[in-house]
Amino acid sequence: MPMSRRALAAAAVALVLPLSACGSGGDDGGSTDASGKVEGDITFQTWNLRANFKPYFEGLIADFEHQYPGTHVKWVDQPGEGYADKLSADAAGGTLPDVVNVSPDLAAPLAKAGLALDLDKAAAKYRPEYLDGAWASHRVPGMNGTYAFPWYLNTGPLFYNKALFTKAGLDPDQPPKTYDELFADGLRMAEKSDGKVATLANVPTIEDFGRYGVPLMNKQGTGFAFNDAKGVQLLTRYKQLYDAKALDPQALTATGESAGKKFLTGAVAMNPGSALDLGNFKKNAPSLYRNIGITDQITSTGHVNMYVMGLMVNSRTRHTPAAVAFAHFVTDARNQMSFAKKVAIFPSTAGSLDDPYFTKEDGTDETRVRIAAAKSLKNAVNYTPVLFSEQMKTALRNEVAKALQGKESPQEALDNAVKAADRLLQQG
Amino acid sequence: MAAPLRIKRQLAFSPWLFAAPGLLVVGAFVLYPFVSTLVNSFTDRRTLVPGRFVGLANFRELLHDDMFWTGLRNSALYVLGVVPALVVLPLLLALLVQKHIPGITFFRSAFYTPVVASIVVVGLIWVWLLDERGLVNSLLETVGIGRVGFLSDQWLLLLSAMAVTVWKGLGYYMIIYLAALANVPRELHEAAAVDGAGPVRRFLSVTVPAVRSTMVLVAALSSVAAFKVFSEVYLMAGPGGGPAGEDTTLVMLVQRTGTGLTGRVGYASALSVVVFAVTVALMLLVLRADRGEER
Repeated sequence: MPMSRRALAAAAVALVLPLSACGSGGDDGGSTDASGKVEGDITFQTWNLRANFKPYFEGLIADFEHQYPGTHVKWVDQPGEGYADKLSADAAGGTLPDVVNVSPDLAAPLAKAGLALDLDKAAAKYRPEYLDGAWASHRVPGMNGTYAFPWYLNTGPLFYNKALFTKAGLDPDQPPKTYDELFADGLRMAEKSDGKVATLANVPTIEDFGRYGVPLMNKQGTGFAFNDAKGVQLLTRYKQLYDAKALDPQALTATGESAGKKFLTGAVAMNPGSALDLGNFKKNAPSLYRNIGITDQITSTGHVNMYVMGLMVNSRTRHTPAAVAFAHFVTDARNQMSFAKKVAIFPSTAGSLDDPYFTKEDGTDETRVRIAAAKSLKNAVNYTPVLFSEQMKTALRNEVAKALQGKESPQEALDNAVKAADRLLQQG
Repeated sequence: MAAPLRIKRQLAFSPWLFAAPGLLVVGAFVLYPFVSTLVNSFTDRRTLVPGRFVGLANFRELLHDDMFWTGLRNSALYVLGVVPALVVLPLLLALLVQKHIPGITFFRSAFYTPVVASIVVVGLIWVWLLDERGLVNSLLETVGIGRVGFLSDQWLLLLSAMAVTVWKGLGYYMIIYLAALANVPRELHEAAAVDGAGPVRRFLSVTVPAVRSTMVLVAALSSVAAFKVFSEVYLMAGPGGGPAGEDTTLVMLVQRTGTGLTGRVGYASALSVVVFAVTVALMLLVLRADRGEER
């Protein structure tokens, strides 16, 4: 049966051809030279920004295309949840956009995989335009280079429910600033409400350890070190909160979203958030909105945690000059400043924070909060270790939960978390 | 002579043409991922880093991984908790709605509704109901029992997720049983009734033997689905798998280990291979038990 054998071969080829396309990553990428003519079609991906800032980005893209005729920017936006998964799928499939919105911990694995353009080489001339600390935030330990343009910075406000503070006999205008004050207020609130109102809905994260003054990594940056005496002390005190129900009983399984809901319903008194949350409170919890207090992050080091957003240029872009020019255009002082006037974020460009917009009082609460945040930002620290992956976060979270439940001592729990994180670090 | 030959050639080729779309789909979405997973399980591949061949290292590692044993325990408990309920309860439900009385279609539809509802929506509704300040806890507090940590206690969380799985699956298996019950000859029931058998006796001696093969089918289907449970536990216990990850199931562990920019694809593939092996073993066990009883 020669025919059927041929048919079989044809079917096999038909089967295999599309599959072979799935496997190829496509490493026929572009060059690191950004000095050529700025032209071509590029794709720009943001992280959950379309819903609130569509007109701003459309205007920005139109300005760029006007300034550089022959360019076309396609803008895509991805939801907040699952952003890392979307990036990894695109990176593995060879469909990563040309300019990508990243945070330092997302840029690190992409840089390690050779997918992020080294801007120390391709865009060194722009470096003086940015704050030194912000530029350095997208360096990766163990690699030479900077892998994203710094974009906006934020410290993230901490919201609190003034009515719950008053009910517990606490001064609603004096929210806790340090961990000592937080623990004291938390225990008092739990006691006064008979365990019905918790102060926090989340277990401590790596950033909490940083702001408590715990060294997160060893000096060489080769291993984690948050299991020292100070780290154990922080976890021990969190356990006291948990036992007293000052930490929500469901904190061990909480997500950012579920913690937000607890705050909305008045089950917890404090919750970190972003400026966008105010609109949500106004719409979904008017009584909370009337009693909302805004303060800075809790810190015992004098430094709040700085969240850094960046724009990474895909090293495999076919239009390196256009991609670099666009990433710089979005993050230059003028465009960052105009973005900062739309939402409570702060520019990472040198000198921008000295603008009267961030220094001059005009008597409104909004400006007061903005000026305070800009001030704290000047000595803020990015406490999230660049190499602290999702798997490491899960390991820490699980061990913290075991300590809070009393299944392990705080020392054992942190030793185990450090051991797991170190193992994952070594595995690359 | 030429014309018949052409017809013959067309006949030989055409089955493949008809089969090609199906083959392509099966090849791309079943065979290729399966073979790829199998190959990856012997490598240390990560999401963005191509792996090297590491032999059985991943399988050796999972023997020493506490989270693997936690996942295996929870998935096994899920089978033990869910399967008996899904074999028996839908049968009772089917008997209830089998009767031809006015308005019974409404009840049949009502029992089937959870099956067509999105698991995400259903899961979130149950999370609201079972929350520390949810409806169920408010009721329990009103009657003096006090609040119960359905979503904060490791075991209650697992039980709550099982309850949702059973509640959602009842309608589906009820329909399967209804089809089986329609084939049970009415004369058998009538004969048993004439011999003095009551409803319970008739159920045990007539209904159960008549639908036994359907019960085996339901047991096989539900045990495989229960072992591979993901959505219910993920939604109710959170992405971390409950307090300290103690409610993590094997499939959740595969997802958590293998996804993200730093995902360990090789190790997650090894876990998937174990899930596959256990699933096949479960099927064989159920079928073997059935054959054993037949003899």
